Amino acid sequence: MMKKILSISTLLIIAVFAFNSCKKEYPVDEDGLLITRRTECFVTDFDLLSSDQQTVRVGNTIVDTAARIVNIQVLFGTDLKNVYPVFSLASDCKLDPKIVGKTDFSDLTNPRKYTVVSGNRKVRNTYTINVTVKQ
Amino acid sequence: MLNRTSRYIAIACSLMLVFEGCKEDDYALPTPKDALQNDVIKRSMGPNIVGTNIEFTYAMALPAAKGKLSSAQVEATIPGAAATYLEYRSFYTNGSGVDVGVPVGNPSVNTGSVTKVDFTKDTSASTLRYFYTVPEDARGKPVSFTFSALSSDGSKVTYKMGPYNVSKMDMKLDLVVTDANRCFISIADMAVYTAAEAGPKATNIDLVYIYRVLTNATYNHSLVAPVTEAQYLQGAVIPAGITNNSKLVKAWNLRDFQLSRAAYNVYVDDVDFQKKDFKDAPNFAINMKAEAGLWVETADGKYRAYIYINKVDNAAKSATISIKRYAM
Repeated sequence: MMKKILSISTLLIIAVFAFNSCKKEYPVDEDGLLITRRTECFVTDFDLLSSDQQTVRVGNTIVDTAARIVNIQVLFGTDLKNVYPVFSLASDCKLDPKIVGKTDFSDLTNPRKYTVVSGNRKVRNTYTINVTVKQ
Repeated sequence: MLNRTSRYIAIACSLMLVFEGCKEDDYALPTPKDALQNDVIKRSMGPNIVGTNIEFTYAMALPAAKGKLSSAQVEATIPGAAATYLEYRSFYTNGSGVDVGVPVGNPSVNTGSVTKVDFTKDTSASTLRYFYTVPEDARGKPVSFTFSALSSDGSKVTYKMGPYNVSKMDMKLDLVVTDANRCFISIADMAVYTAAEAGPKATNIDLVYIYRVLTNATYNHSLVAPVTEAQYLQGAVIPAGITNNSKLVKAWNLRDFQLSRAAYNVYVDDVDFQKKDFKDAPNFAINMKAEAGLWVETADGKYRAYIYINKVDNAAKSATISIKRYAM
């Protein structure tokens, strides 16, 4: 009886190890983010925050996903050299370049460009951020 | 059989231990010490700034049979400013919630670093408040306090408090700025001036307060450096010679308790000025709102300041501001 219990236990442990070693590993990208099967690749919303973390946006941001253009109007007197961009993206997307802090949007004639990368990391769409100041 | 007996004994012992562990001790009235005792709490919070008070409450008592209180004193490691005092009244709160003072001694006397009250009432217990007005000598230094009490039976008790660091910064409250009038702000002087007054102090003027209502854009209450772009000056006349280009960083939700005197437990301290980053900071702050703030670095880099907007008045085209300033 005792022998039977021991052999069953051993078999169980081996099975656990075997299944564990066969477990599928999910792929991650160079940032450690999960690579999914999603191909959606677009901006859903965009905002700019000033140094006091308050929005400087006037009205709604217009996101043209076909033309890949974001149009945002900001308050008069916004310090565009020191604003924090805030993107909302489709599920599993990421942004290139990454946003690491305050960003300079003051060169209105040369709008900044950000590339949205899809969840499967195979689709890349570059958006142009057009900023205008309310006068 | 023996095995089973042992098991029952073990279970019984465990139960005994469990029940014993849960037994509540009977309450007994604490026995007071048969001697003079004292205790201190610090009432004031936040940075200790020159010119403001560090407040303590000093309690002392002895059994009535032992005698009465003779004197109480506080010795500071750095003598307090002239306004330093130890209350000669013991307070209680009446039914309406008002603190009522009952004199128990003579008004305190400051002798060097010692502030002393001699009791005149036959009392064996008292709580006195101590207000140490931070002197200029203490700026940037630590200060400690020794509280002591004497009783008629010759007993003496002491209680040490501190050290407490005294901040390097200065503070000025409730300066009223008005558009096109007292609109020139000097961080160096911690004052506001009219154009006529500001002219001779040109090098000390760091900011201009302007109020405008624009048709399309929002400007309202704004603080700008005297040399900011014309679009931010909105036609404000700057006397000749006022050319400081201060750096400004807007802040929100930073309602310093000492500046606002409202119920926000937030303090701007020396370290905040030391660590504040003014790289690429603009020279304008447009549309400032009540309870907002503004970090300022003077053009010569000599001072950093935090200006809190206590209130704004659109009709009077004015604002009330309070300033904390740190010399770099």
